[in-house]
Amino acid sequence: MNFFNRAFLNIKGKMGRTILLTLVLSAILLFVLAGIIIQNAATSAVNSAKKSSGATVTLSANRDNAFKKMRQQKSKSKTPTLNLASVNIKTAEKIGKSKYVKNYNITSSTTANAKSFDAIETSSNNQMSNPMGGKSGSSSSSQGDLSISGVSSTDQVSSFTSDTSKITSGRGIKASDAGTKNVVIEKDLAKQNSISVGDTVTIKSTSKKVYKLKVVGIYKTSSTTSQSSGMMGQSDPANTIYSSYTLANSLKGTSATAESVAYTINNPAKASTFIKDAKKSINTSKLALSKDDSTYQALLTPLNNVKSFARKIVLLVSVAGTIILTLIVILMIRERRYEIGVLLSLGEKRWKVIAQFFVEMAMIMVVSIAIAGFGGKFVGDAVGKQLVSQETSTTSVATSNNSNGQGQMNNGGQPGGNNQQSPGGSNSSSPQSTSSTQQLKNLSTNISVVSLIQLAAFGLGIILLAIMIGSIGILRLQPKKILIS
Amino acid sequence: MLTTKNLEYWYDHKENKLFNNANLEFAEGKLYAIIGSSGSGKTTFLSLLAGLDKPSAGAIEYQGVPLSKIGLTNYRNKNVSMVFQSYNLFNYMSALENVLTAMAITKAKHANDKEYVFKMLSNIGIDQEMAKKKVTHLSGGQQQRVAIARTMCCDARLVVADEPTGNLDEQNTREVLNLFKDLAHKQKKCVILVTHEPEVASLCDQIIELKNKKFSIV
Repeated sequence: MNFFNRAFLNIKGKMGRTILLTLVLSAILLFVLAGIIIQNAATSAVNSAKKSSGATVTLSANRDNAFKKMRQQKSKSKTPTLNLASVNIKTAEKIGKSKYVKNYNITSSTTANAKSFDAIETSSNNQMSNPMGGKSGSSSSSQGDLSISGVSSTDQVSSFTSDTSKITSGRGIKASDAGTKNVVIEKDLAKQNSISVGDTVTIKSTSKKVYKLKVVGIYKTSSTTSQSSGMMGQSDPANTIYSSYTLANSLKGTSATAESVAYTINNPAKASTFIKDAKKSINTSKLALSKDDSTYQALLTPLNNVKSFARKIVLLVSVAGTIILTLIVILMIRERRYEIGVLLSLGEKRWKVIAQFFVEMAMIMVVSIAIAGFGGKFVGDAVGKQLVSQETSTTSVATSNNSNGQGQMNNGGQPGGNNQQSPGGSNSSSPQSTSSTQQLKNLSTNISVVSLIQLAAFGLGIILLAIMIGSIGILRLQPKKILIS
Repeated sequence: MLTTKNLEYWYDHKENKLFNNANLEFAEGKLYAIIGSSGSGKTTFLSLLAGLDKPSAGAIEYQGVPLSKIGLTNYRNKNVSMVFQSYNLFNYMSALENVLTAMAITKAKHANDKEYVFKMLSNIGIDQEMAKKKVTHLSGGQQQRVAIARTMCCDARLVVADEPTGNLDEQNTREVLNLFKDLAHKQKKCVILVTHEPEVASLCDQIIELKNKKFSIV
């Protein structure tokens, strides 16, 4: 292994050239590392986006068909009525057993009137949120002053997952609350009526039936709009009471059905496959499955752009680096042709001469990797932030467009009625997209051991290629020709 | 020890041969001088003897075995050592490192390599302090001594030198020639010098002249 010793002596003996090569190689590796860490960060962000941004598929009435039928009735001069089909719980549960489903939330909403306590009245809100001009908060017979959101579990409701609402005492609604009269009420409502966890309150359904409810939890919401905004009465978000969907059904006078079921898909990319499978279990003329993976898609595009840009950086820097390094190595080898000639005249094998050059460059590379390791973090951060800020603004525009579109759909779809989507469904895009945008902004450009190993492999590849190309001209010659020329 | 048989060499065309049917024998323990005018082909002939190039025709045998059989790299590594006019030392190494590197490549083994090299360098007038200096800090005469020390420390039996005194003054020339004489007469190596200086050639045991593409013993 004499060539190791020669390489070391050369590195030590020609310090000026060594420093110059170290700087050149550091610059090349710095940009390669920046590219690698951005690429890795984008890849892991895509993977985490798959997990966290999620996708929901909502099973609910086929509104298009229902409206079509209503229009047909109108043309036949019948009194038009909009009949929206309900989801059978057993069918929903069967679909929920799919391997693509992480969890699901059965939702059924209705309104009721407060009996043993007073609902919160907001005068300015009343006027704004009551397009019909009626007095909100009044105990109207058809619409109650409380919004009852029947769910399987409050943990799966988007306002809770996005921290817009938080349980402050007691607990949330759980699947085990099905069939009970347990409820979770808002903190302001509880405070106004001096209600605490464990208390019993009474409400009156729109069909005048009185229900005794047990308060199992109190939540605080920072939302300024009601889940059922646009409806008479329960416009203040504090008037939303969460219960099991079974209680909401009882209040409505139905059973074993739900308005909608929101399935959270464990891999957003599989949402379409899930819909295809689920359609086999439902009557598609009455029920429809709608996919909401807009957050995932909105996040995926910029991340893929960042990833693709980083890949291009790596590719460009590698090609440019190999060219620069090859030229330097060619010049270096030409300058050292006598040395090569003497080595060959001493009977040194050609591969060992190449190995000496390789070891020299590899030794320089070790120092360069360390320098690139320090600098790469800053370059990666700077380039990553720039890329992300560009992509985030694009995403925000795209997401806000999506949200507006959905909002219009929801508001226009069922005026004054219960939201078609669950409380976790209708407003799902906003909180999720906020967290996803946050996730994009927090693109982690940390240098890992894997990144450094990738960089070393890359560096060795570039060096090997440069030395092979640079050595061809000299090493194919006979030593005499090298020494004489 | 070394024999050339009908050795011929040409660059591009066979008609332009540098030399014809060279049949020469070189023995151990002798110092040879090859003389001739500039461009006559002395250095090319020497490079063939050193295994740096292949002859266009004929053969060279080392101890009865053709070089083509031994393999040129193997031959250069084990049997021959070269001294150049421009010394051709590794300029990023010290004198000591230059000799040790050559020994490592040729796998020349001695009880204590470093001590052995210091002793050999000391014998030819390079003290320890000088031996540790980069060769670029030594004079031309000192560098040529280091180059000769390199051949002394390697175990090759054949030493070929191309104009080894070409860059040296009279005193250094004499001293370097004495070293070559020692290599031949004391270490019993076969030493072949190429020179264009008659004074240098006159100090050798045998003079071979290359004239009109023919070798003749003077």
